[in-house]
Amino acid sequence: MGFFDEPFDLTTAAEGRVEGIAKVTGGGKYAAEYKVNGLCHAVLVGSTVAAGTILNINTNNAKQVAGVLGIITHLQKPLVPGMANEEKIKEARFGLPIFHTDKIYFKGQPIALVIAETLEDATYAASLVTAEYKEDTKIVDFNGALASVSLTPAGKDRGDIAALNNAAQTIEAEYNIKAEVHNPMEMHATIAEWIADDKLKLFDKNQGVNNVQRTFAKLFNIPVDNIEVISEFVGGGFGSGLRVWPHALACIMAAKLVKRPVKLMLTRPQMFHSVGYRPASWQKIKLGANADGKFVGIHHQAKNGTSFYENFNEGITRVTRLIYHFDNLKAEAATVPLNLSTPTWMRGPGDCTGDFAIESAIDELSYKLNIDPIDLRMKNLALAKHPDSGLPWSTNYINECIEKGAQMINWKDRKATHSQNVNGDWSIGYGMAVGAWNAGRGTASAGIQMQKDGTLTVQTAMTDIGTGTGISMQNIAHESTGISKSKIKIELGNSNLPPAPSQGGSNGLSSIGGAVVAAVAALKLKLAAYAASQNEAYKNATAADILMSDNGISFKTANNQFISFTSLWEKNKLAILEVEASSGPGTERQKYAFCSSAAHFCKVRVNRKTGKVKIERLVTVSDGGKIISEKAAANQMSGAAVGGIGMALMEEQATDERLGTLVGNDFAGYHFPVNADAPIIEVAFINKPDPNINPQGSKGLGEVGIIGTAAAIANAIYNATGKRLRDLPITPDKVLLG
Amino acid sequence: MLGALAFIPRGVKAFYEEVKNFIVPQKEQLPLTVSINKKSYAIKADTRTTLLDLLREDLNLTGAKKGCDHGQCGACTVHIDGERVLSCLTLAAMVPGKEVTTIEGLANGDKLHPMQEAFIECDGFQCGYCTPGQIMSAVACVKEGHTKSVAEIKEFMSGNLCRCGAYNGIVESIQKVAAK
Amino acid sequence: MRPFLFSKSSAANQALAKKNSTTQYIAGGTNLVDLMKKHIAEPESLVDITSALPAKIEPTAKGIQIGAMVRNTPLANDPTILAKYPLVAKAVLAGASPQIRNMASTGGNLLQRTRCPYFYDVTTPCNKRKPGSGCSAIQGENRMSAIVGYSDQCIAVHPSDLCVALAALDASIKIQDKSGKMQSISFTDFHRLPGTTPERDNNLPANALIHSIEINENAFAKNYAYVKVRDRDSYAFALVSVAAAFNLNGDQIVEARLASGGVAHKPWRWLEAEQYLKGKTANAATFEAAANIAIKDLRPQTHNGFKIPMLKGAIETALQQCLNP
Repeated sequence: MGFFDEPFDLTTAAEGRVEGIAKVTGGGKYAAEYKVNGLCHAVLVGSTVAAGTILNINTNNAKQVAGVLGIITHLQKPLVPGMANEEKIKEARFGLPIFHTDKIYFKGQPIALVIAETLEDATYAASLVTAEYKEDTKIVDFNGALASVSLTPAGKDRGDIAALNNAAQTIEAEYNIKAEVHNPMEMHATIAEWIADDKLKLFDKNQGVNNVQRTFAKLFNIPVDNIEVISEFVGGGFGSGLRVWPHALACIMAAKLVKRPVKLMLTRPQMFHSVGYRPASWQKIKLGANADGKFVGIHHQAKNGTSFYENFNEGITRVTRLIYHFDNLKAEAATVPLNLSTPTWMRGPGDCTGDFAIESAIDELSYKLNIDPIDLRMKNLALAKHPDSGLPWSTNYINECIEKGAQMINWKDRKATHSQNVNGDWSIGYGMAVGAWNAGRGTASAGIQMQKDGTLTVQTAMTDIGTGTGISMQNIAHESTGISKSKIKIELGNSNLPPAPSQGGSNGLSSIGGAVVAAVAALKLKLAAYAASQNEAYKNATAADILMSDNGISFKTANNQFISFTSLWEKNKLAILEVEASSGPGTERQKYAFCSSAAHFCKVRVNRKTGKVKIERLVTVSDGGKIISEKAAANQMSGAAVGGIGMALMEEQATDERLGTLVGNDFAGYHFPVNADAPIIEVAFINKPDPNINPQGSKGLGEVGIIGTAAAIANAIYNATGKRLRDLPITPDKVLLG
Repeated sequence: MLGALAFIPRGVKAFYEEVKNFIVPQKEQLPLTVSINKKSYAIKADTRTTLLDLLREDLNLTGAKKGCDHGQCGACTVHIDGERVLSCLTLAAMVPGKEVTTIEGLANGDKLHPMQEAFIECDGFQCGYCTPGQIMSAVACVKEGHTKSVAEIKEFMSGNLCRCGAYNGIVESIQKVAAK
Repeated sequence: MRPFLFSKSSAANQALAKKNSTTQYIAGGTNLVDLMKKHIAEPESLVDITSALPAKIEPTAKGIQIGAMVRNTPLANDPTILAKYPLVAKAVLAGASPQIRNMASTGGNLLQRTRCPYFYDVTTPCNKRKPGSGCSAIQGENRMSAIVGYSDQCIAVHPSDLCVALAALDASIKIQDKSGKMQSISFTDFHRLPGTTPERDNNLPANALIHSIEINENAFAKNYAYVKVRDRDSYAFALVSVAAAFNLNGDQIVEARLASGGVAHKPWRWLEAEQYLKGKTANAATFEAAANIAIKDLRPQTHNGFKIPMLKGAIETALQQCLNP
């Protein structure tokens, strides 16, 4: 593959993203925005208790509302073959068996769905549905339930943590993080239309159309190809769209019931219990080092909340095995069932949580050892190989991230002792932390349709949830064909297009990039085959020999044998040239370990009188391999940093144990950062290609942007005030009382 | 004590009494003439219909977004008589006699508004869902003159939440347009 | 929303004639529409009063009159307000968002209901929403709740920022009733404490509406401050807020005003602290002493003990800021 042969500049041109115009004009259609003839509206009714059994549901009043077309409950519902009995429900692994149980597992659990002509009618009628329950005892408070479960080993021990007893300095501390909720700006929504008895069309908000397709094909026992899923514009996800959730099934059932297309958009309060969240967590760390700063070992214990109907393990201790040499390591974990909906992956899942504890503990240890936190980390980074597998890193520039970030924020301005930098009521401090993420790649397919005028349409089923997949595909197609970006269209987010993995886990671009390169190679070969009928020289050409331009193909050699697309098309009587190719990971995964990494630096001001924390500067430097679209990548990183500010300072899903309810489940009660909460985030990249991970050399970025941010902020608060705050979020009250 | 059971504190009889006495009110439809993006629409709307739902569900103007439906996110921001407001908290019945501008009416034909161009150039979005609201708000922010510093822009753009955190590009877009 | 009839009134008497127990007036709608969507307010008819009441800011013999229909943004930008009553503008700008401030009326701001999360969740008990059902906050998530003036029936706080400034400035409210009669209520008597009737937020008679707000000329245009501590930097309700103002003779405080939001069911005046500040030298020690007086008898809830040191800090900060507004 000649991808690295050419000198190229893969930065985004001034014209911006491929979908830019659609997004700034309101023209782009998100799931709930398609115009469908005969569309009606569905609204979910939630349980008002957190645990128990439904005794009866009264829908009489709701039925009297003019315009109501139907009401679904567990007693009256269309058939879902994949949930026909207990056994099938278990087999389906769908999570909450919506409308297929009288059991209540959490407050807000859908007990009915009202379908009506208008949204106003459906919403009002839904408010008139009432139910009686036999209530069971409930538990929603994670910290209260913690002690009820015991820890079990999470992965193999390394060495023996008894060695910690001989460490010169140790830190032993507990860390608590409240549940966080993804809350993408677009509320999850589905429009379902049964085109025929066994043919389904969905406009749906999700992060992977093929996953949606497979899920419903199984549940309705119809061929995968009979389900079309359209998710061209996805208003954010952060993990909430990686699963198929009950409301989407509810909408499909509704369409079956009323024999019309149905739209269901969750309300914002429903978003808090319908599409997952980052569970509340507890961690205990024991970390020790020799006097020279060499880590002796770590004991990492972690628990996270889950639901009573599914077990969700966050994988909090995974990151502990990734970044540093710990010759002695013990990791243990447990999940704590609660009367809440099931949590799910949220940006930087597990690692984001575990990293906060480790990076806070290391910072604390650095003060005890009187070693600069940067130096302490540098001494202990596992730079050569993955500490668990022993495989050499393909590339790992975490040390360079640290060096660059330190320079950018002027780390030398930091006082080595806390509370030394004071200006009136404000105390100023600096903090840093690092993060890493296993860099993955999945098998993806891409197609190219080429027109006579040299216009390309590059296609994939993969969704672009705002990460910049579209512009990156365009950049890769441009670099590997030489055709101008203005002549390359991108189509994605549709299950009719070549299949691809879901957009998640920082795997999106890593997976699709190779597919685009492979499709271009297939295109070049196909063009060469046609060209051979005009010019013998093309007969045995390989894709690597061929150059493309806006007008035609040629050889890379001096005697370039140019043939215009026009003549090629006319001679061969071509209409559209189509290719599809697939690409995925191979044996390199047996030879190397892969990771993305980042270093985060923060300068804070803390008001000693009011407890207010103001982030003055936030610098994030990452190693994501080759940067394919610099603006989109920088946007990812600054956006992740803003998410990190939220995690550090304000995001918290409150619960009420007595009532078994979430509290403040809206944007007035659940705060995430507004524009004023974030400084202009300063972003830099190492920007060195990883030669083994995929053809374009890029490693995923979405997660590492947020892994470590919260710790950097908490560490800066300590440097400013001497207050070591180990519970997130660090709201002003905690700063005052800390 | 797990497994302990309790009935909700309301007798089944009282429950049905209440049901029997409940009369479902009929919805009220109003004939309205509304002007949106300088186009007049003569419509019949439910009194409960918000401007946001009128735009999105009835007029196929889906540029204004529903991000919370309770005035807590700014995704539904439109201009009424040139000022930025939240369409989710505006009843359609209160709009006649006023001029509504949505993101669809911001460009001049095919020529994008400078703020739309700036958002593309500065990558002032990721998923794009809050973007129409951000742009409508940004246009107003410049017009109001709240662009003297980054801090002022940030404060006067804080009524528009962006979960992707594209605040860098949003601020840069506004600075760019304000400098013109 | 429950279905409702909609009409528009172009004069106050016309609007008042339509008023009965199932009618509600709507102006900006920033709170009412939200409450209707949540089925907390379920009026059978709605009367649009945006053309029925004054929307102007006008000078009066004693000061200034702010029409009930003046929106928050023009109020904050008004040259007379900025010159003579800048505390009002400062408080307005600390609240909500630019979009909401463009919509929200002055009259409506006074009538906005609490933001207690239980009041907003119709599946939970709340005495304010459903009298007699109980108060969920007392034993629940009461981080945002009151620390003074509450009762065993309700610990909600009033959410307005503007009202804190108006309370501090001893504004009065002009009320018009069905007979056309105008009546003036002092601002501090307008909002109520919850007592045994938490469902009643204020003393506005059932058949009356707010015509305007009056503020008398005062000496607080030079040294004033509004400090709002909240979980995020903007677009959030106050954990505590402080409106402070004083006038100086040299470095001596002649008269001071001190009020808070986020602490009680109504904007709360710290009268004893105001009294203390009179005649004192305007310095950090004085400010701290005044703050200590304000916080001495407060009784926080299970989860908001932090509000006491936070309030103390916010009062000191606000008084300090008065020296350099």
